Amino acid sequence: MTVTRNLLPPHASADDPRITLDEEVGGIFENVPPYPPRTEREAEFYTLGDGEMFINMGPQHPSTHGVLRVVLKLDGEKVVDLDPVLGYLHRGVEKLCENADYHQVISQVDPLEYVSSLFCEWSPVMAFEQLLDVEVPRRAEYIRVLSAELNRIASHALFAGWMALDLGGLTPILWSFIERDEIVEMLASLTGQRMLFNYFRIGGVNGDLNHDFMSRLGDWMSRAVKQIDNDTGLLNENEIFVRRMRGLGVLDRDTALRMCATGPNLRATGVPFDVRRAHPYSIYPEIDFDIPTRTEGDCLARYLLRMDEVKQSLRIIDQCLHQMPDGPIMAKLPRLLRPRPGRAYASIEGPRGQYATYAISDGTDQPFRMRIHDPSFIHLQMVGLLTPGNLVADTMAIMASLDPIMGGVDK
Amino acid sequence: MDRLFRRRLEARFGDRLTGPVRQRHDQTEIRIAAADVADILRTLHDDPEWRFELLADLAGVDTGTHMQVVYHLWSVTSPDWLRVIADGLCRDDPRIPSVTFLWKGAEWMEREAYDMFGITFEGNRDLRRIYMPPEYTSFPLRKDFFLADDAARSPGGGVRPMERSHSPRDAAPGAVRQVRA
Repeated sequence: MTVTRNLLPPHASADDPRITLDEEVGGIFENVPPYPPRTEREAEFYTLGDGEMFINMGPQHPSTHGVLRVVLKLDGEKVVDLDPVLGYLHRGVEKLCENADYHQVISQVDPLEYVSSLFCEWSPVMAFEQLLDVEVPRRAEYIRVLSAELNRIASHALFAGWMALDLGGLTPILWSFIERDEIVEMLASLTGQRMLFNYFRIGGVNGDLNHDFMSRLGDWMSRAVKQIDNDTGLLNENEIFVRRMRGLGVLDRDTALRMCATGPNLRATGVPFDVRRAHPYSIYPEIDFDIPTRTEGDCLARYLLRMDEVKQSLRIIDQCLHQMPDGPIMAKLPRLLRPRPGRAYASIEGPRGQYATYAISDGTDQPFRMRIHDPSFIHLQMVGLLTPGNLVADTMAIMASLDPIMGGVDK
Repeated sequence: MDRLFRRRLEARFGDRLTGPVRQRHDQTEIRIAAADVADILRTLHDDPEWRFELLADLAGVDTGTHMQVVYHLWSVTSPDWLRVIADGLCRDDPRIPSVTFLWKGAEWMEREAYDMFGITFEGNRDLRRIYMPPEYTSFPLRKDFFLADDAARSPGGGVRPMERSHSPRDAAPGAVRQVRA
């Protein structure tokens, strides 16, 4: 029957009339809801059953992939229910974008999902291009796809490493960081930055392919397949890992759709929804690749599906390199953009699912409304659905398999 | 653009649409009244003719005069995104039925719209603030919530267009401090 001090709102004190003193146990922090419950669900959650207790996990916890706090309701070591508490990384990006010039938006959205920044840039840029009715040069589109697919591999490599780390395996993250670091250094020579690239521009990209990038990419591509097989073999053929993940956190097709899941988490339940094929954008219709799906819907399926996607990304990169056209990398646009009033919705398939932007223009040089839809936010709420009934340690495994990034969750 | 889709929408929901069906790029847009949301979205979700199984996005919008809730839906039956705009919510007390009975995953998106715009989603079991602390009282993404604009107050404010203050046109006089160099 422990409630930690963190469960109380910051202004709370022992004199607060809303807090009931639990004299028997001898402290004000025992068996106390954080504040009078405001919703049906909150009242239900903060009522303890027989033998149940609250444990506070986070906001500073190595396994929460960022600054996330989760209040767990436990019966022994079994999770009965949980309540994620968000907002520790909330920066109000949408408001900042509504007060920024169209070009300035790109650097605002970069740190949303800091491990896959190119995807965060892509959907706003595409939405603004729709508002402006501008056509992006084909070479720019190829460079976008090429760099974004590299970023997808880097993101999935990080996912595999983190996932193993959350299960207590230290080696895979060291191995996967070798690949990730090569890609990140490659992208740094293309864009100038290792993580927050600020590379896509409205109507094109910031810089053309350079010699350093191409030679690094060529080097890496020649041994990538072997390296990735080697790295994934460490986990795929690991008895402990596979038996731990199989059958854990099973999500079925209908529940996944009801939870608005997209990306690998949805495809692991057997729904072949991929924005690159469902709503083709950029030059994806010209490129030959498969959409891997799995039907099990458990943590292992979500992990294996991402590893399959890495192979498809390598195919896409290979085709991009062979089909790369010549030409300009930027459309001709004025420096100050004033799109006509209108609405646009641009959606892309990122490493975690659908990244989307709904932009409204009012004819000025700043977006009137910019809604950012982030897949991490959507997927994190499935933790509350998949975890109850499992052990505390499985919370980490399930959360890791959904792959949320807190920068994107909190916007 | 899917012209047939537009005709099908007009034929099915014609009398309940509050504006013309608009199409641009790969998006088809319909406008409905807030009270019709639960009914029309249920039809779009359940009816085998439509099969809009995936809620791609749910966004609140403050237009300055009224509030909107905007849904983006996806279906195998159309190559377009369907944008459903629930229009005309009053700014003083915006209320709209929740769609959590169709998509449980809309719960957090509705919480976010509540947190940022103060829109009440009737039927959402967990409508509390999600990003801001519970004791917070404002709704930050409303257009009458101003950001401090350092550039506008600088001596150069208003000289270069990029540094000009972006005050909403209907702002009360004096609400935003403006400096002209």
